[in-house]
Amino acid sequence: MSNEVESPQVSDAMEVAQLSSLAAVDSHAGSCEAEMPSRLLNDAVRSLPYHVVKDLLSIGVCSRCVLRILGTEDHIYCHSSFSQSMLCSVLEEVTSFKSEGDFQFCSVCSGILQLSYRDDKETLVKMKSPNDMALVIAELVKKEGHQVDGFSLEVSIPQFILENESSLLSGMKKRYESEPWFQERLLSKCVSVKDVLKFAITKPLETLLDTKASASSFRIRLTYTHKMALENSVERNQGFKRRKIGTENGLQNVNDESVVANKDCSDYPTNETIAVTGRSSLKVPIDKVSEPCHLVYLCYRTHIYLCGRYLKYSRNVSQTRWIIDEERMGEASVEEIIGSNILPMCRGDNYKFHAAGREDIDVRMLGSGRPFLLEIQNARQVPSKETVKEIESKINGLENKLVGVKNLQVVGSQGWTLMREGEAEKQKQYCALVWISRPLEDEDVCSISLLHDMQILQKTPIRVLHRRSPLEREKIIHWMKIERIAESSQYFLLHLCTQAGTYIKEFVHGDFGRTQPSIGSILGCRAEILQLDVTDVKMDSF
Amino acid sequence: MSDVMVDHTQKLEETAVPNNLEQQDKQDEEQPQQSVQENAEYEDEELHKLLVPDITQLPLIPPSAVEFNFASYFAPDFMKPGNDQYVYRHANGLCVVGLASTHLAFKDKGGITAVDFNVGKSDRSGMKVTGKRKKNAQHFESNTALCKVCTNGDSYIVRCCVKGSLLEVNERLIKQPELLHSSADREGYIAIIMPKPADWLKVKASLLSLEEFKKLRALC
Repeated sequence: MSNEVESPQVSDAMEVAQLSSLAAVDSHAGSCEAEMPSRLLNDAVRSLPYHVVKDLLSIGVCSRCVLRILGTEDHIYCHSSFSQSMLCSVLEEVTSFKSEGDFQFCSVCSGILQLSYRDDKETLVKMKSPNDMALVIAELVKKEGHQVDGFSLEVSIPQFILENESSLLSGMKKRYESEPWFQERLLSKCVSVKDVLKFAITKPLETLLDTKASASSFRIRLTYTHKMALENSVERNQGFKRRKIGTENGLQNVNDESVVANKDCSDYPTNETIAVTGRSSLKVPIDKVSEPCHLVYLCYRTHIYLCGRYLKYSRNVSQTRWIIDEERMGEASVEEIIGSNILPMCRGDNYKFHAAGREDIDVRMLGSGRPFLLEIQNARQVPSKETVKEIESKINGLENKLVGVKNLQVVGSQGWTLMREGEAEKQKQYCALVWISRPLEDEDVCSISLLHDMQILQKTPIRVLHRRSPLEREKIIHWMKIERIAESSQYFLLHLCTQAGTYIKEFVHGDFGRTQPSIGSILGCRAEILQLDVTDVKMDSF
Repeated sequence: MSDVMVDHTQKLEETAVPNNLEQQDKQDEEQPQQSVQENAEYEDEELHKLLVPDITQLPLIPPSAVEFNFASYFAPDFMKPGNDQYVYRHANGLCVVGLASTHLAFKDKGGITAVDFNVGKSDRSGMKVTGKRKKNAQHFESNTALCKVCTNGDSYIVRCCVKGSLLEVNERLIKQPELLHSSADREGYIAIIMPKPADWLKVKASLLSLEEFKKLRALC
């Protein structure tokens, strides 16, 4: 590793030593790419207004905060190998500032950018470099067994840190606004704590996880909370908004802490007004920060979806798990058969089954199948196309042949809209086994087939009247066709296509005359339905 | 199969089953040159095979929807001799009540001429029940009058038989009282009542099953 140091401003022996050690630190990153950061850092530091840096350091602002507040670009000081002590000594050296000795948590970021925090066991952790934090995260990802194809990094910090910062910035404005550098380094160029942290961790994470940071369903979340923020939020109970930073997933032990109060800046001691000398002194709301933040690492995957169409070959299988008084109705459910075969392949926590409509337990779902969506929570692995095909074959190859699956595939969140789209509008096709109380005539077959878009009026069927509103619903029977059964004069197959929401069984037997017209009333005799099958659920997008 | 084929039922064309299957198998072996059309036809065939029932397994006369889904009970001489009524109870607890075939009204020479729901304090045909919980339904006792059935010579009061909420009355009877003659046990039902589970158990004790009723009335 070359120790090339080109800076013409090097005059001090101590500085040379500094820069050499910098280069040495970079060595593990390899070749000339590593050299650039340290040189950039030095150049950047030298361009800072030294007295401001000194002022900031003297009120307990950490080195990264100093650099970011003064608008230094992330890539210069966020190199994963730049340690805390190194950054600190570079700044102190340049400004001839001597820190008081004991490590102090930053008065603005409470130690976040010093990579210090309390972990879930309340142990104080002081990471040396962003690389070390990335290592912890990578370990967690590995422990959870996630297979990662990309990641999205999220950081949430206590509100009071932003308020600290804003308070400091307004103090700086008052103090320095007349100075020439102020216009150049407009304080609006201040880089946020979150951005700095994310920038620092992202590259090493990409290396460790062997993937790229992107808009991914796999999320890595760092949640910082602070006891002080909590105490204050408990005290105040007028007019504060509670904002939840964090999702429903997995933040069990920090749920309360993630609720943060929105506080008035005016609550903090404001900066002193301009003194006789015309320069106000710089203050930060919290002089000595004795406690760092509490950090929780979380990695999870947002819902992934698999969609497809299912077929139900059995008349004893319900669509969803159906249990009355601890007893299961039917021998199985479509939901469980499909879910239990897909969940382990995704190594997810849980699944939710959604279908475009439903059929009774004793009605088979044949033909094209019914569209469904399976939502998998916190999948450790997104199944590949091959895996998905395997799952489909497996389900279709199950010995008991109760359920079948078609067109199984992983789909994005648009799966929802695809399913809901026209769910209520779509037409459904059925085949019913019908018996009538007299022999079937040719005229019957003819007259039935001539009925098109026939409107019927259905009172809420008695079998569901106990749980549905008593209403009269208009439905349309689009077409019907009778298929004779060879050896029978009174049994026949009735094929029909109806509007979604039509009660077919009641249309056949009439439900005490509460569905008008019915097959019985059309044919002028008693009609009974023995079996019903759904033969088509028309939905183009699935 | 009907000679009249309508366009949108192309899918259900009948084809000679065995031949097609053989052809299909061969094509399967020859591999993926099957056209979309052929695939669709094959699937239709498979579907059709599933749909056609085995006629030998079917009863000559199947149980009716009522027989299949309801438990039949009877109240002979309810409140008055000859006032035979039925109570068909669904598994979900709802009860359909009406005139049993042995009711005195059917013995009247002139037949049933009218059905009037305006009995007791209100017109039963006027009430409207709404909502899933049916909270606004009227609660009636088992001896509350539902309607009056009129014949040429006489009139008969039909009562609830079951204590509970009145969900619906069969308004069709007003314009078509002859429904009582053609099918008193189906289209000619009188009303639908929703009893509370406890109330049902109480009344059930006093009702007869179909078998017991048949014996009582010496029906075959």
